Amino acid sequence: MTYATYVYAVRRTGGPEIHSPGHDGGGPVRLLPLGSLTAVVQDVPAAEFTEEALRQRFTDRLDLERCARTHHRVVSAAAAGAATVPLPLATLYANDVRTKVVLEEHAERLSEALHRVTGHVEWAVKVHRDTAVPLLEPDADADADPPAASAPDEPATGREYLARVRDRRATRERRQESALDAVDLVDRVVRTVAVASVRRPLHGVELTGRDRPQVMNGAYLVPQDDERLLSAALDTLRQDPRLSGFAVEASGPWVPYSFASVALTEGVGRDGAPA
Amino acid sequence: MTGTRVDIDPQQAGRDLAALVLTVVELLRQLMERQALRRLDLGDLDDGQEEAIGTTLMMLDRRMDELCAQHGLRREDLNLDLGPLGTLLPDGA
Repeated sequence: MTYATYVYAVRRTGGPEIHSPGHDGGGPVRLLPLGSLTAVVQDVPAAEFTEEALRQRFTDRLDLERCARTHHRVVSAAAAGAATVPLPLATLYANDVRTKVVLEEHAERLSEALHRVTGHVEWAVKVHRDTAVPLLEPDADADADPPAASAPDEPATGREYLARVRDRRATRERRQESALDAVDLVDRVVRTVAVASVRRPLHGVELTGRDRPQVMNGAYLVPQDDERLLSAALDTLRQDPRLSGFAVEASGPWVPYSFASVALTEGVGRDGAPA
Repeated sequence: MTGTRVDIDPQQAGRDLAALVLTVVELLRQLMERQALRRLDLGDLDDGQEEAIGTTLMMLDRRMDELCAQHGLRREDLNLDLGPLGTLLPDGA
């Protein structure tokens, strides 16, 4: 059987061995030294990892999930011992020689990325709106009737209908503004602790549920020693009345995937881009 | 797409087509509503015109509810995810 070299991550040379099983059907996860850097690799059956085979496998959610979990497990194991630059899922080269050639070409950028993430972890911060909590009225009108929009009866006249449409529009605009304000506040506070941040695409309501749309999906690079500052900042945010109606969630620490990406171009067959 | 794992159900395909068509109709309806509100704000409609436009839009709105019910769709099903551009229709109308 022909084997290809699957690359999980790159570390500085000298870290501990990794005892984590890799992808099914492959050899043990091993370290491949490349000068001052070391790649974390595994021999995998080439036939199961061709571009076509991967495309086929990744249309199967279960197979994709299994691959992603294995990849993540090995990357996490590598990161437990030393600063690590994770490579995208399904980064493959024909053999060790090719792997060395490509990674050595990118050694400088890999070193930079390692430098950036050393001593840092990634935290994901997500903000959802809780639709069960009514919007704060902007001003006055406190003694007006409760929201007319929720009145069950149908509008009787054309003018009533237009008024209702206008109300709905105004509510929606207020809701959008309040979401922008909330996101801005959370981002400002978290960035006092973080050294870098990225905003990722929002999850749709299919994932979050219709009653809690996501308004922010961010990743922050936080110094390992400052994780307690981060959780303190998040606690403060959760008490903040300006965020009533919003849920602030954080998860981590993660291997800093979002801050260590190095585009490895010119690979054999695959360029390391996620499928 | 590899095709082998796509489950093609003719009934589902018909429903998806209806949802797509109704989404486009809903987009036009909302644009008309928006235009009506703008003209109202500009104050260039008299009371009679306002009532007439409002009634027409209200009828269209009810007709949309009926059409959705006929095709087993909810109003919130009528939307398209345009990826980084967000959705075609503003959410939660």
